[in-house]
Amino acid sequence: MQEISKKLRKEALFLSHKCKDGNLQSVFSCLDIVWTLYDKIMNWSPAKAQDDNRDFFIISKGQATLALYPVLIEKGYFQMDEIAPQIGQFNSRYCIQTDLTKFEGGVENNAGSLGHGLPFATGIANANKIKKSPSDVYVLCGDGEFCEGTMWEACIFAAAKKLDNLTVIVDDNNSVGAMVDMGDMRQKLEAFGFDVEVVNGHDMDALEQAFKKLKGLKNGKPKAVMAKTVRGYGSKTMMENDIWFHKSPNEEELELLSREVEQS
Amino acid sequence: MRRAFLARVADMIKNEPDTTFFTVDIGMWAIRDVLKDYPDRCTNVGIYEDAMFSIAAGMARRGLVPTIFGIQPYLVERTLEQIKMDLAYQKLGVNVIGTGAAVDYPKYGYSHYCAEDVHVIKAIPGCEFIAPGTAKQFIQLFNQTYRDGHPTFFRVSDHPNKEYDIDVEFGKAAVMQEGKQATVIAVSVMLDDVMQVCKGQDVTVLYYTTLEPFDTETLAKYYNNGKILIVEPEFEGSLTHDVIKAFDGKPVHIEEVAFPREIFRNYGSYDEKIAHYGLTKEDIAHKLVGLLTSN
Repeated sequence: MQEISKKLRKEALFLSHKCKDGNLQSVFSCLDIVWTLYDKIMNWSPAKAQDDNRDFFIISKGQATLALYPVLIEKGYFQMDEIAPQIGQFNSRYCIQTDLTKFEGGVENNAGSLGHGLPFATGIANANKIKKSPSDVYVLCGDGEFCEGTMWEACIFAAAKKLDNLTVIVDDNNSVGAMVDMGDMRQKLEAFGFDVEVVNGHDMDALEQAFKKLKGLKNGKPKAVMAKTVRGYGSKTMMENDIWFHKSPNEEELELLSREVEQS
Repeated sequence: MRRAFLARVADMIKNEPDTTFFTVDIGMWAIRDVLKDYPDRCTNVGIYEDAMFSIAAGMARRGLVPTIFGIQPYLVERTLEQIKMDLAYQKLGVNVIGTGAAVDYPKYGYSHYCAEDVHVIKAIPGCEFIAPGTAKQFIQLFNQTYRDGHPTFFRVSDHPNKEYDIDVEFGKAAVMQEGKQATVIAVSVMLDDVMQVCKGQDVTVLYYTTLEPFDTETLAKYYNNGKILIVEPEFEGSLTHDVIKAFDGKPVHIEEVAFPREIFRNYGSYDEKIAHYGLTKEDIAHKLVGLLTSN
């Protein structure tokens, strides 16, 4: 695993430890995706956080908010010294599901209710078309989240409105496998009118190539990246024990999990 | 009222490039030209309300002014979480215009009735609810609010007032007449009947077209022995909390002419429903007499 992947995971662990909450399996499955977007793909920097033509990153799978904060810390937008003591506290800006209303930039949507982020992102992408803005929109969704009907309603709209400035990322960590048989998601998204790339969601080079390939296709079709990921990737304990779907590490577990991340 | 609203929409789309309009597959004929000429901003999106609210919220986030048109129960009941999280919590201005409430589709059954709308929207802090009594009032209230940055819900009625068509202001009750024995709150399309009953009587009549935020300030000036009659074309109890709050702890005797809180299992005509559920002029007169003669 690349050094940055290890660093981001250790920061997410620390934040979860500090706020005594979090969905770390889900965070670890998408951290490499979020970093690749901010580091290689998106027209975004701390200086452009409020620029009208910046690219947008929307968290539809809100339980992965602890993946966004470390990325924004590494990008110099947030400070660990500020977030760590405040996260989840009564009057904090830092909710463990992103809260749009507490920020002037950096956080682009209010997460928490599944099935809302994708249509919200679709609205932003449609507005960008109307405004003739070059801004692209990236929205991170869970595979399980696609059980929500609103996800498919948004897909209908995105295809009908030819939103080739919208990229849907499915963090496909097989959560839905424990629920229902979703069948072939790639086929489904293609049938809804999307250009789809399937990649290893922990291979940053592959992710970068997939995003760049889709970005180049200005063909009136919305884009989707099916990122094949593993829940808890980077920690053997977390990959093997689903209790880490919703659990925060105590002092001892923080040390153990951080060590596993370092050795992975 | 519906025709006036759609004409206003057509005008808005033609002249204001930051506005958008989505219809959930109704009213297309009246705006067929703008649907054809401005397909990027004026769209018949198909039949889905939930994601439409989130999509409109995303567009508002980018500085556009979206307006959605549909059938009231699907707009305000199917979409409750989108209203709460995407519009109200995120403080995003989207205009939602609903037809059909409370029983304007009287033959279509419970799926198309919506006597709950006022209560439902008032339960979500941060939303505005407007129930114009005439087409002119719709235009006035829409023009005053459609760019105010709040989620604003309009109830468009097919049974407007015919006699009383006064100018109205968002957030303000209009004082139709002043008296001392009781205060009658006439909501939206109930005004004509209320005035016919109350004209010449020593009672105050206040006319409300904005139901959220509710103008407690005006009401507070007309305590009138605490005798209050609410005449509202929605579920009973939709405004009682506001009335009690307006009088700040003083005792009130509230009577209501409103739809009862029950499931409507009948069809027929609008007038049959008004009669069956007790919202006629005679019902208003009867309730008022009871209130005036009570101790």
